[in-house]
Amino acid sequence: MAIVGARRPTPYGEAVAERLATDLAHAGVAVVSGLAVGVDAAAHEGALIGEGCTIAVLGTGVDVIYPAANTDLAARIVAGGGALVSQFPDGTGPKRDHFPRRNWTMAALADLVVVVEAAEGSGALITAEAGLAQGKAVMAVPGSVFSPLSVGCHQLLRDGAGLVQNARDVLGELNGLTAVLDDPLTPPDRLAVEGEAPRGRDGLLRHLSDAYPVEPGDLARRLGLAFPDVVARLTRLELEGKARRMGAGYLRVRGRGMT
Amino acid sequence: MLPRLPGVVARVLSCLLRGLEGHLVEIQVDISSGPVGFALVGLASGSVREAKERVRSAIHNSGLPFPSQRKLTVNLAPAELRKDGAGLDLAIGVGISLAALGLPSPRSTAFLGELALDGAVRHVDGVLVAARGLIRHGVGALFVPEADAAEAALAGGLRVYPCPSLSIAMAHLTGDTLLDPYSGRAPAPAAADASPEHDLAEVQGQDSARRALEVAASGGHNLLMYGPPGAGKTMLARTLPGLLPPLELQEALELAQVRSVLGDLTAGRPLEWVRPFRAPHHSVSLAGLIGGGSGLATPGEISRAHHGVLFLDELAEFRAATLQALRQPMEQGHIVITRRSGSVVYPARFQLVAATNPCPCGWEGDSQRSCRCTPASVEAYQRTLSGPLLDRIDLQVVVARTPMDVLGREAVGESSAAVRARVVAARQLQIDRQSTLNAGLRAPQLRRWAPLDATALSALRRWAGQRGLSARGFHRAWRVARTIADLDTGGPVREHHVMEALGYRLVERAA
Repeated sequence: MAIVGARRPTPYGEAVAERLATDLAHAGVAVVSGLAVGVDAAAHEGALIGEGCTIAVLGTGVDVIYPAANTDLAARIVAGGGALVSQFPDGTGPKRDHFPRRNWTMAALADLVVVVEAAEGSGALITAEAGLAQGKAVMAVPGSVFSPLSVGCHQLLRDGAGLVQNARDVLGELNGLTAVLDDPLTPPDRLAVEGEAPRGRDGLLRHLSDAYPVEPGDLARRLGLAFPDVVARLTRLELEGKARRMGAGYLRVRGRGMT
Repeated sequence: MLPRLPGVVARVLSCLLRGLEGHLVEIQVDISSGPVGFALVGLASGSVREAKERVRSAIHNSGLPFPSQRKLTVNLAPAELRKDGAGLDLAIGVGISLAALGLPSPRSTAFLGELALDGAVRHVDGVLVAARGLIRHGVGALFVPEADAAEAALAGGLRVYPCPSLSIAMAHLTGDTLLDPYSGRAPAPAAADASPEHDLAEVQGQDSARRALEVAASGGHNLLMYGPPGAGKTMLARTLPGLLPPLELQEALELAQVRSVLGDLTAGRPLEWVRPFRAPHHSVSLAGLIGGGSGLATPGEISRAHHGVLFLDELAEFRAATLQALRQPMEQGHIVITRRSGSVVYPARFQLVAATNPCPCGWEGDSQRSCRCTPASVEAYQRTLSGPLLDRIDLQVVVARTPMDVLGREAVGESSAAVRARVVAARQLQIDRQSTLNAGLRAPQLRRWAPLDATALSALRRWAGQRGLSARGFHRAWRVARTIADLDTGGPVREHHVMEALGYRLVERAA
């Protein structure tokens, strides 16, 4: 199955993509995506966390990694038993009109396309249309009604795409079963092992979501920071009005530095 | 040497308890000609008047003479002190026997114990407290029930005679068969590395609560845990005694006195070194919690938790009046209970750990289940938590349930022993610097012992201004920051210490 979506998703979209990919990979589903930043990268990362096979369909030659920021990710995909595939000859650089063609290929490789956050007219919707044209199932993850990145997904849902709340919904569709509503999904922060240390004072902010609270202990583990240090930094963000407490965790406050 | 008064043939000492004070009682026995009878005078309550029957049988069955053909008067002095309990039995029995045999009364020797009808001496409560009181009155030797000898010996400086029966006591006094004084060893403190019953290593995740427990243990701060059922609040609270250093000898003695009065000491091993953990149910009565009861007030849960932990689970379910009554002991470290028969003072220097659900159904704010309460009922519930008691709880943390799919993935945490090593070091630092734990610092002391640098002060002021923090709240965060700095470097309190301290409080509600 393919997971596609925005290149600049909200922390919510990124989290959903990662968590879905983890659970699906865990269930033995190969996760196809496009090695772009944002949702694509999160989907590949999630599949790797789930120790599953993930396939990156490139819009460049297989020897050209674009964007370069994902060079390391590409290497880990291959090392994890996945594949980089491309319909373009070696050495082909990024070209604007190659990407829609790559999207068509992505849909062709998958039995099902899941869209996570897509603005109106975005590349992810092109992939969804390609899937429909090829007779593949299309599903979408709902988002906030305040977010422009939800519009594309909500359009798909209105037009009859399947609703995705969790991996079970996707597996149900793949296996022709009726999906069952389930508990809310646990955000991937709780499941993550480690990541990079944040840069600068606001570094932590990038790891907070406006959709669900993230607990300081999970942040500390993920970023390899000391717990007391994380609590102090989060309070500083609170003081500056950039984050706020909710239950045992912290939310990013909307409207500042949002993508 | 007690002067011999004409007519009075025997004078024997014993002791009565008023709270944690032992009062000297003199039993005067007079045998004279006159109407045959046995009179017991001196403000004796029912249980003491019954002593007449017990003592009479005990003397008969011990093969000792009872002056049944004469007028026998026993006076319990001083007359204004109300006498209750069976602890005077042995002294009365000894007094009558001495008088009947025409023997001199022993000097500066006291007797404690209840008599069985066959003359055996039975356990009484409060022997340690009595022994300490008797020492103050210059008494040098004390006869106690065998089971209570180790307890009496804790007082130190007394010759303690473990006394199985009235006849054996009399044999000693007549010089026939001398008893050996108790020679048990002085109590040895517990090994500092003893592994606690509830170890922090068994707790998965819960980083906020773990850290808050460490800070609470280090600074003596009170702690509130706020979260849904099944989040592990009780388990976390139970680890606190294991994070604290063992009791000092003086502390152990103070606690033993409370437990002595309650008859709650283990025979032969009266001193405990592990800090107490008391967890009264929320239906506890006022008297049960702070002390009281009909007649003479007995110590309550707060005194049983002296130098240890008082855990109040489901804080919002406790009656408001009950929680109100905690304020005085929390400020003063002791409780004064006034009854018709007089006031008693019991120590109550406890560390409070409280836990509460966020709402009546418990699930408000949970990540997996939704709350079924109305907004009004949630608000009413949380209002019961606010106010003066919450003001006295320095550390407040949210404890969330760990989702099923996270359980088992999280690394095993540090053991209690590892945390305790840091706690002990931080506590020593505080004692060396200011002779008290940080939780006891008031504003002037904070300025002296926990000065904030300019950045730290402006951050705290900015927070206080933004959130409408009360003066109490301001000082709370300041105290906690001091403890965090003591755990860190022991040096000055910096901005990041203050910022972390502010992280351990509930979201302020509009007043």
